[in-house]
Amino acid sequence: MTFPEHAISIKVSEAGWLSTFQDLGRENSEFMGVPCGGAADQYSAAVANILVGNSRKAACLEIMGGRFAFTATHDVMCAATGVPAEVTVNGDPVGMWEPLCLPAGARVVIAKASGGMRNYLAFSGELETARFMGSAAPESRMGFPQQLAPGQTLTLHSRYRGFTHPFLTQPLFRLPVPVPNFSPDVWTIDVVDGPETDRTPGIRKLLSSSHYTVGAKSNHVGLRLDGPVVHPEGLGEIVSHGVPIGAFEIPHGDELIILGRSRTLTAGYPIVAVAAKASLSMLGQASPGRKMTFRWISNEQAVEQYREQQRGLVNLEEHVHALFAAVGLPVAASFAAASSPSPAAA
Amino acid sequence: MTTHTAPAERLHHPPELEAEPFGDSALMLRVKNDDGDFRRAAGRRLRDVLLEVRPYGVLDIVAGVESLLVEFDCLAVTHEQLAQTIRLAVAGSGLEPGAPSASQALFVIPMVVGEEFSPDLQDVAEELGLSPEAMLQQFQSSVLTINLLAAAMAPMMGGVQFPGQVSRCVEPRTNVEPGSVMVAGTNAIIQPFPGPSGWKVIGRTPLTICDIREDPATSYKPGDLVRFDVVPESEWSRLEGQFLRATPEGVASDGTGWNGAEGGNSDLP
Repeated sequence: MTFPEHAISIKVSEAGWLSTFQDLGRENSEFMGVPCGGAADQYSAAVANILVGNSRKAACLEIMGGRFAFTATHDVMCAATGVPAEVTVNGDPVGMWEPLCLPAGARVVIAKASGGMRNYLAFSGELETARFMGSAAPESRMGFPQQLAPGQTLTLHSRYRGFTHPFLTQPLFRLPVPVPNFSPDVWTIDVVDGPETDRTPGIRKLLSSSHYTVGAKSNHVGLRLDGPVVHPEGLGEIVSHGVPIGAFEIPHGDELIILGRSRTLTAGYPIVAVAAKASLSMLGQASPGRKMTFRWISNEQAVEQYREQQRGLVNLEEHVHALFAAVGLPVAASFAAASSPSPAAA
Repeated sequence: MTTHTAPAERLHHPPELEAEPFGDSALMLRVKNDDGDFRRAAGRRLRDVLLEVRPYGVLDIVAGVESLLVEFDCLAVTHEQLAQTIRLAVAGSGLEPGAPSASQALFVIPMVVGEEFSPDLQDVAEELGLSPEAMLQQFQSSVLTINLLAAAMAPMMGGVQFPGQVSRCVEPRTNVEPGSVMVAGTNAIIQPFPGPSGWKVIGRTPLTICDIREDPATSYKPGDLVRFDVVPESEWSRLEGQFLRATPEGVASDGTGWNGAEGGNSDLP
């Protein structure tokens, strides 16, 4: 059974420390000087959308710290992902990383996030939001903050009409969701060689044997880490060139910077390592005080890890699609066609 | 690695292209040539070729001063496969600076100078051994080419006809006003949004050069031409906030070329 789309109001009563509209970021924008931006933890954002039957690229909400609370005028289906947090529906604790079927008027609170920066909240359907270069992702420098304010009402266009399990009050979906492990005291981030690795004697041993601490000035532009660094030798002035997401830069001071998705696109600092693509989502969750160390892997291993991560997402998509089709829950039109991995995702 | 001699004479002699992995999902491309002007022009051409050909797996491109970073889907292609596709594309199209494309627009940008607007004017003139007036004269008579769009769509332009290179600020400024016209080396750039910069500020345009409520957010693109036109400070209030648009063809370059047409098909709040 399919229902026509209807408009649902979602009242955000508490907006946390910083909450924004978000998605996987801009495509084809960097050649125009605009960083792709988008969810720092692409994996969690993609999973939140997949779990509610949306396309991975759909707009969702990114919540950073504090208490986030909302109430919807109609039944809605949502999913919360990201770092461990306390999620309650009318005061009762519910799970993360699974579809939640909420009755109209239920008050949902997401709070007490621990171990990292970000939670993602996706709703079955399409959130109404402004877009810049095709994306809902914030680009605050250019005047596109996308920030949610307490008391703001969001509009959701959804085909979801409520769902109850015939025997249980809350449906139990068993979906194969690989949940990232945010619990270690020291995160291990995989890296591959950068263009200046070989000209920086000792950097391999240093990065793999030292602990680094994420500093307070870190943000979506880059993580600033305290820890031992060495400077490359015999490098002249580096002419400003494009820098990839996850580049490890050593500027003139004794600091290590790992660039994020909203990086300034060009820089003239040496790049001593580059985070493996499959590790970027974890880096996107690192909050000030987070300790991490690094493990060198080959390019082939990096690609294989990313392939594995993408395979997990495709597998989840297929299960959600089959399940939702069987029980009459809506899936996004583009979802059916999304069984081939999207290059822009995660 | 070089692309070997083309069998057919009609094929261009492509310049040697260096392709270096930058992590698991990016490839840094540099045109090898002793002439810096050639490298920059060939780099622009290379970007156009890649945007036109769209080699399989390419996600986006970041233009540097003398290089291109190609970001790709590492599940679709390897560094080696992509480098080979790009070399083939280059062999087919060549990178010789061709005739200016028909879509190359000219922007005449009004700029105001004065104590508030030009904190580094005197410094830059002294460094070049010119009077401020003569330096501005040379700046205004230069026809600049937009080489790339830098941070936040800032137009980075080459071709300033100065007798020497302009150095950067010893201490970069933490905030430079939007519209600031800045120089370094023989390049110029306009600051589209407030933010830090180490370039020398010699003037400010009252126009808005980038506005995300416009679609596209800038009227200019890489390859377009720019000329600056110093106007009296009294013009500021008339021009302030108008969105920069290309100078229509045939309009005399006497400073009346820009227009302030209202516009924007905003879907923004």
